[in-house]
Amino acid sequence: MAGKVRVGFYSLTGCAGDLLSILNIEDRLLEIFEKVELVEFVMASSNVKPGGVDIAFVEGSVTTEKDLKALKEIRAKCDRLVALGDCAVWGGVQASLTGLDPRELMKSVYGTEQNLYGFLGEHKPLSEVVKVDLELPGCPIEQEEFIKAFVSLLRGDLPEVKDYPVCIECKIREVPCLVVEKGEACLGPITVGGCKARCPYHGVPCIGCRGPIKDEANVAGELLMLMEKGWKPLDAINRMKLFAARYKDLAKLVGRG
Amino acid sequence: MRIVKLPKERFSELFEALKSWGEVHAPVKVGRFYSFKRVESLGEFTLSYTRTMIPPKKYFVKPFEDILKVHVEKGYEPIVEESKRIVLLGVHACDINALRILDGVYMDEIPDHYYASRRSNSMIVGVSCEPDEYCFCKSVGADYAWTGFDLFLHDIGDSYLIRVGGSKGESIVAELTGVVEEPTSIDYVKLRDYELKRSRMFRRSLNASYLPEVVDSLYGSELWAKYSDKCLGCGSCNLVCPTCRCYDVTESLDLNMVEGVRSRRWDSCFLRSHALVAGGLNFRPTRLDRFKHRYNCKSSIDQRTGMLFCVGCGRCTVFCPAGIDHLEVLNSIWGLR
Amino acid sequence: MAENPCLPKLARIVDIVEMTPIEKLFRLEFVDEEDAKAFNFKPGQFVEVSVFGVGEAPISICKSPTRPGPLEILVRRVGRVTNALHRLKPGDLVGLRGPYGNGFPMERMKGFDILLVAGGLGMAPLRSVLQYAIDRRDEYGEAILLYGVRSYQEALFKERVIELIEKPEAARFKTFLAYERDDPVFDKLREKHPENVRKGVVTVLFECADPYIKPEKMCAVICGPPIMYRFVLKELVKRNFKPDRIYMTLERRMKCGIGKCGHCVVGGATSIKYVCKDGPVFTYSDVLSTRGLV
Ligand SMILES: Cc1cc2nc3c(=O)[nH]c(=O)nc-3n(C[C@H](O)[C@H](O)[C@H](O)COP(=O)(O)OP(=O)(O)OC[C@H]3O[C@@H](n4cnc5c(N)ncnc54)[C@H](O)[C@@H]3O)c2cc1C
Ligand code: SF4
Ligand code: SF4
Ligand code: SF4
Ligand code: SF4
Ligand code: FES
Repeated sequence: MAGKVRVGFYSLTGCAGDLLSILNIEDRLLEIFEKVELVEFVMASSNVKPGGVDIAFVEGSVTTEKDLKALKEIRAKCDRLVALGDCAVWGGVQASLTGLDPRELMKSVYGTEQNLYGFLGEHKPLSEVVKVDLELPGCPIEQEEFIKAFVSLLRGDLPEVKDYPVCIECKIREVPCLVVEKGEACLGPITVGGCKARCPYHGVPCIGCRGPIKDEANVAGELLMLMEKGWKPLDAINRMKLFAARYKDLAKLVGRG
Repeated sequence: MRIVKLPKERFSELFEALKSWGEVHAPVKVGRFYSFKRVESLGEFTLSYTRTMIPPKKYFVKPFEDILKVHVEKGYEPIVEESKRIVLLGVHACDINALRILDGVYMDEIPDHYYASRRSNSMIVGVSCEPDEYCFCKSVGADYAWTGFDLFLHDIGDSYLIRVGGSKGESIVAELTGVVEEPTSIDYVKLRDYELKRSRMFRRSLNASYLPEVVDSLYGSELWAKYSDKCLGCGSCNLVCPTCRCYDVTESLDLNMVEGVRSRRWDSCFLRSHALVAGGLNFRPTRLDRFKHRYNCKSSIDQRTGMLFCVGCGRCTVFCPAGIDHLEVLNSIWGLR
Repeated sequence: MAENPCLPKLARIVDIVEMTPIEKLFRLEFVDEEDAKAFNFKPGQFVEVSVFGVGEAPISICKSPTRPGPLEILVRRVGRVTNALHRLKPGDLVGLRGPYGNGFPMERMKGFDILLVAGGLGMAPLRSVLQYAIDRRDEYGEAILLYGVRSYQEALFKERVIELIEKPEAARFKTFLAYERDDPVFDKLREKHPENVRKGVVTVLFECADPYIKPEKMCAVICGPPIMYRFVLKELVKRNFKPDRIYMTLERRMKCGIGKCGHCVVGGATSIKYVCKDGPVFTYSDVLSTRGLV
């Protein structure tokens, strides 16, 4: 490859936690950045510099007009676009408000029904707006997964994507199952693994922060399971909505009431 | 097969002999269930336990392991681990039979090095057990270990009758001269009575004869969907199954972009990628396809041992978060419900 | 203990031929002389090819053991490993494991007429049979090749196929070609050899070849994309080919290639098979007795 790979990091609506977690890879950060030409690393801005990039990492959801414009610009000037973190992959926690009246929301937060921030009315994942080449889920992303993906991308490959549930990692680490042993409301069966079952390992049920397994997660089955363990349907659905509101099967379940 | 008798009060001497052969791993209580773990003293483990969540296969095909080192210019190099001897103490008959099946798969004409070397450095000490409400090993002929162990401890109350399964077992018994005794005819009566009692304790059963034919020929039955709708596709049933042996292989490079590893990880046929090929064609696209595939795989016959690929350990039922009962599914296919 | 079957051997890319925009032919030589000597293969077998740092993919050997010289594989660029392989240059190293799989029973087919049917990339494994049969032409009776492609651009080894059509006597192979998209070269060939070249999918060629097809003394060998099998099998069954004299090579996801990882498992409870080990070559009898094989 002639010259270094040009890389940009961009942030839409979100807490910037994913870029922060990259900055937090302190001991290896230099090693990462010395390999590329860092075109931009913007924590929150739509101030897009000219010139294309080979790889664009984008975090945050598409929530405002500004996000929409910035994302389209980024897509137009990059070769590969990587969605970083749950906001970019699924719309983030904010997307769990999907279905609520945006004016009501404005009113409850800002005290006015006026659309102050060019709010689009919903919080969309990048893939609902532009073509996305790779999605790295998580809230925030897993540093190890990011490094592996980064290395693959630099070499011109796409990394192997994880599409197995958290339960697989529970079994690999021999973590006692919280559903089986305690009847807890664990979302591990419908959630993408890659966190090494961090929460169940610490005795805490999975809340699904890495998002549902695309096109696979059986949310109706999960609901049934939670109900059999004594959960009220609404509570169970709300639990799943936190990170999976824009998963089509869950949207259907919610639609049915 | 030679049988010796070990009074229970002298069990610690057997334990010490095993320890001097290698690291002893035995069932330790973790949560509500058990796990094979390294133990140093008698108080840490128990020989009267229901089941471990993860079967002994974890010692031979590791749940996750790096198998090769890779260098982007030089290629591959095996990762050789320091070989160590391991005694698995307290293995149930079903799990021993499952290991026999895995042995056939991993140590056939093209033996898997990692598996074979660990296996040859291991000693299996079986122990008799009492079935709980999930066990159906008797239905599939796996309630008794015919071979596949070095020692097998049969509890007859105040003593163990020990079947000695080979040279490794003999070497342990040799160290216990003066500790083990010749069994008397009364001991055998106790053994018979114990086994009779045990065989009456099984509460669950499966029609194992003709199982392959029935499961295969009723592939089109709409009963499957009733269960696969509930199934979360989480793969737990596969990973806890002592005869499931699927693994995935991945490769990645380190940040230095020069060195990396090739690894393998226990896989499950419930996962999307299991039968997916490049270009997006999936030979088992739906959860229903995968559900039926698992039941077909588990209801088929291992040609090498002549045993069913299910040893009736009950784990898949116990550890299914969706509460799907393996026997209930098969019995309903049999038309028994 | 025997050697570690998971460990790829080193091979050097000695030559790369761009066959189509998405397919390249790689010529490979083992770095270690001993590895080369130990590598004995049959038509229809495959190797696991590794790209360092990326991974492995099963690829058919696309030449006949009767031909000396480097090993040849033809690779379509479709995913991680195959894309990475396409980026390599002559002189670069790759990893090789194998040969794996049962291969075609060339011995059992001796004395029979042979009918080879290839579709698209299926030409890659089939080429090993084709070369083998040409090199040992006297061991077989009548020999027929049916090749179906979508377009001129996607056709593999087209010079050789055209040559077989133009000079059928040279290799004593009756060759027929079907293509779907208009193209000046193929159109011209069709005008010149209307008996041998047709427009349409591969099955239209049966009509042309029928005068030479004698199912009672013929073996059929089919290689192509999964959907092709059903249609070709229908034609063969219609002509009363014996089920155990119809051979085909099948594809499933593979990781180990040696009957361990379980990915290539097919069949129902009474008919479980490993495509990597029990196949990839199966007969139509296998298809009849194994659930979901084609
Ligand atoms: C017996 C056999 C012979 C083959 N011969 C050829 C050939 O001669 N030329 C050719 O171009 N292709 C051939 N293929 C198909 C080739 O193996 C796949 O295209 C290749 O594995 C894709 O790998 P990838 O990493 O590029 O794709 P990805 O989609 O990234 O696949 C990831 C991994 O999945 C597995 N996998 C994916 N697709 C397949 C598949 N179709 N078959 C088996 N494993 C798969 C591989 O382990 C692969 O590394 C053959 C397949 C089989 C089973
Ligand atoms: S604890 Fe949760 S994630 Fe772990 S196995 Fe049980 S259900 Fe799955
Ligand atoms: S299928 Fe279930 S009962 Fe049978 S061996 Fe596997 S885990 Fe045990
Ligand atoms: S195919 Fe499924 S059921 Fe069979 S061994 Fe593999 S994981 Fe187990
Ligand atoms: S453990 Fe239960 S829910 Fe999970 S894949 Fe198996 S049958 Fe389905
Ligand atoms: S490819 Fe691993 S078992 Fe066939």
